[in-house]
Amino acid sequence: MSRNSNMKFLYIGIAIALLLAVLAPFLASSDPDGLESAAAGVIEESKLTELEEQEPFVSSPMPDYSIEGMGKSGEVAAIAGGTLAVLAISFGFGKVFKKKD
Amino acid sequence: MHIPDSFIPFDQALIYWALALPFIIMSMKWAKNELDEMKVPILAALAAGIFAIQAMNIPIGMGTSGHMVGAVLVAIVFGTPWAGVLVLTLVLLVQGFAFADGGITTMGANILNMGVISGFIGYYTYVTLRKSTGTSIAALVGAWLGLFTSAIACAIQMWLAGTFPLVPGLMAMGTFHLIIGFVGEGLITSVAIAAIAKSRPDLLEDDFTARPDKHTKEAHA
Repeated sequence: MSRNSNMKFLYIGIAIALLLAVLAPFLASSDPDGLESAAAGVIEESKLTELEEQEPFVSSPMPDYSIEGMGKSGEVAAIAGGTLAVLAISFGFGKVFKKKD
Repeated sequence: MHIPDSFIPFDQALIYWALALPFIIMSMKWAKNELDEMKVPILAALAAGIFAIQAMNIPIGMGTSGHMVGAVLVAIVFGTPWAGVLVLTLVLLVQGFAFADGGITTMGANILNMGVISGFIGYYTYVTLRKSTGTSIAALVGAWLGLFTSAIACAIQMWLAGTFPLVPGLMAMGTFHLIIGFVGEGLITSVAIAAIAKSRPDLLEDDFTARPDKHTKEAHA
């Protein structure tokens, strides 16, 4: 019974996550987050520009949850893809690392 | 609150990685010793949900937005902050490598702030308050305080990095995350816990205060 109800929890979780993935590109605020906003307020402008223009240590395939040239649908795809990747990785991790008995 | 690579010098970023690593290893040990196979779907559902909700930035005024972090929610559901550390580590790995959301060199600091500090402070605040206030308020206050404390830690790291001045940095990070912590973390965690308490009360009972198998194990040890 518990196994079934845990699988139900998983399906509801996936449904909520994918719904969020579809809605986020349209509903999420594009204002800077708390850290970026604090940075803009307390760092000198020239230094901030310099920090922001630095390339990340490793370049990512889909920076800022966007796929080049695909607009909003690309964002939906990126977030949904990331959601499914996290789902698969955590499920796989859990199966490998779970308690052995 | 995802710190990008450029905000912390490389040598300091390595120190945060070194500090985060024991917590990551402990979270994996928790999975090996305590994670019941039946609960793997719960872990995966929470991880996926947290990744998705972190894309949902909520406007908080002052031209600023914020999103839920989620470590406290995971910790409450699993009855241990190690579960929160584990889930946030997995989420931050995917965010950093696939989406450049948070740096790779600064991932240690991000895991420390969002996984460890917010999760531990939030979970133990929840445990302390739960009996007197009930789960909803305890979850709200715990999640709120956890996020706020991690933002203060982040502001101090930014100061040590030479990126933010100390007092203005603390003021700005503190102000924004007091609001983000209430709306984005506290309210959502509380609503999610209330929904779980209603549909799956068994999940929330299964923690260290009421886990028969753990007590028997300790008795045998």
